[in-house]
Amino acid sequence: MMQIPNDKFKVVGTHLSDTEKISKPSLSFWKDVFIRFRKNKLAVFGLILLAILIFMAIFGPYMTEYDYKMTDLTNKNQAPSAEHWFGTDDLGRDVFTRTWEGARISIFIGVAAALIDLFIGVAWGGIAGYKGGRTDELMMRGADILSGIPYLLLVILLMVVLGQSLGTMIIAMTITGWINMSRIVRGQVLMLKSQEYVLASKTLGASTSRIMSKHLIPNSMGPILVTMTLTVPSAIFTEAYLGFLGLGLTPPLASWGTMANDGLPALRYYPWRLFFPATFICLTIFAFNVVGDGLRDALDPRMRK
Amino acid sequence: MAEKLLEIKNLKQHFNVGKPNMVKAVDGISFDIYKGETLGLVGESGCGKSTTGRSIIRLYDATDGQVNYDGVNVHGKKSAKDLKAFNRKMQMIFQDPYASLNPRMTVADIIAEGIDIHGLVKTKKERMERVYELLETVGLNKEHANRYPHEFSGGQRQRIGIARALAVDPEFIIADEPISALDVSIQAQVVNLMKKLQREKGLTYLFIAHDLSMVKYISDRIGVMYFGKLVELAPANELYNNPIHPYTQSLLSAIPLPDPESERTRQRKAYDPAVHQYSDDEQLEMREVSPGHFVYCSEKEFKQYSVK
Repeated sequence: MMQIPNDKFKVVGTHLSDTEKISKPSLSFWKDVFIRFRKNKLAVFGLILLAILIFMAIFGPYMTEYDYKMTDLTNKNQAPSAEHWFGTDDLGRDVFTRTWEGARISIFIGVAAALIDLFIGVAWGGIAGYKGGRTDELMMRGADILSGIPYLLLVILLMVVLGQSLGTMIIAMTITGWINMSRIVRGQVLMLKSQEYVLASKTLGASTSRIMSKHLIPNSMGPILVTMTLTVPSAIFTEAYLGFLGLGLTPPLASWGTMANDGLPALRYYPWRLFFPATFICLTIFAFNVVGDGLRDALDPRMRK
Repeated sequence: MAEKLLEIKNLKQHFNVGKPNMVKAVDGISFDIYKGETLGLVGESGCGKSTTGRSIIRLYDATDGQVNYDGVNVHGKKSAKDLKAFNRKMQMIFQDPYASLNPRMTVADIIAEGIDIHGLVKTKKERMERVYELLETVGLNKEHANRYPHEFSGGQRQRIGIARALAVDPEFIIADEPISALDVSIQAQVVNLMKKLQREKGLTYLFIAHDLSMVKYISDRIGVMYFGKLVELAPANELYNNPIHPYTQSLLSAIPLPDPESERTRQRKAYDPAVHQYSDDEQLEMREVSPGHFVYCSEKEFKQYSVK
């Protein structure tokens, strides 16, 4: 066999200290989620739609010279025109202004309901799941009993006792709304609390609140966020149908539900009064739902490539 | 021998006490761990090895028995301050490197968790320096500090887990099957790292595993567990050369050797608990057959074993 002298060899390989190097750029969890979310065209469309709706809710009412409660009886039930972009209603109020004023209230109710659900649900479900045993049993059965009361009955009672107002509306949304969130958080916490990183934290002497805030809640963030984005449209929808049933806000306040309610009797002659609020209810719910779906897919670790 | 660091007396860990599905995961085991040694704990799946480890470190509240660390009982009521001091002395390395690191935290935050909890450093700069130092101790480098666990391989993750345990300067580490989830080539890397750390920092290990050859390599003494009981405890070589309890013999007969010649003739011994034929009035306990070699047996068996 031919002998090759050692000096013909040259080390070209990696240095020993480089063997542990990771060449992939560092990606935080949320960056990774964002990249996956971006691939979902429908969800991105939903997000853009949502951005436009929120933009209009903020600035829409200022785009016209009318006020949402300003009546003009000489100009009632006008069809959409250059003067009144979405027409006017039976009191001569500008529908465009009222639609965006309604958007503010509808979106506010949706977001407020989702946030309150978040706080109560996470705290309730988190404690129940983490403590387990009898505490868990008591807390979750309590939630079951509350969710067993017929919803509409509860809302009507609330409206009677507290009076029809925005605050009552939000209480009505959240009084049972948090139960869903608490069940989801409880399930997550039950699953996560026996994970080894939680045990490791315990052996290091971490307090319960630290384990909750650093380990259990951040790791449940995916399902929590998805539930929240799906709570918003359902709250908006609930508000709309309560408004439609006449259990909603009192005039001159406008929400999409009450506007649709007002517009219904005039459907045959002045269809725009129902058409505009109804369309925006649909668009908003659609946007939140596709964004929620997109988030769920993006947050699912099994979808990671 | 060296001084006792840990004294486990009649430790019992039962689950679902008083219910029909009660499980006696650990049923009255006693052993000592000496300063600076590695005690290996072996046994089949579900025999209570991991539960023993977790009871010792207070992850479970023991049903009965004592765990004395430096003469102080670990279980029982303690003030928050005592508990924190105890948490710093005893640490744990976990089995599954994919489940033992929080996926939402950076490596720096994971390693520094103990430092944060115990307030071991004052400034952010000190904290990062300590993290870099620990990363280097386990053979990783600074750049890894800001990365997330999913970017690492199993062996690297396990080393991060070791760095986390080391952050609070423990004296005693319970390694709960630290290598069973790793690739064989990486197992040696992790075990050698553990040995190196033991030499440098004078650590004491309780090494729980079911890979017998690896246990022999790392342990000074080995305990064999069977159905929640410790059946044999002896120095590593003594146990391998002179196994006395039938279960230990059965376990050792299952070790494959990378040699086709001897493999062909290897005889598997099956263990049948009925072989003991214990009668109801016999006292079963750990008895010292030869110096340092304990076997769980009856008085009658003890005489037989001692003759051998």
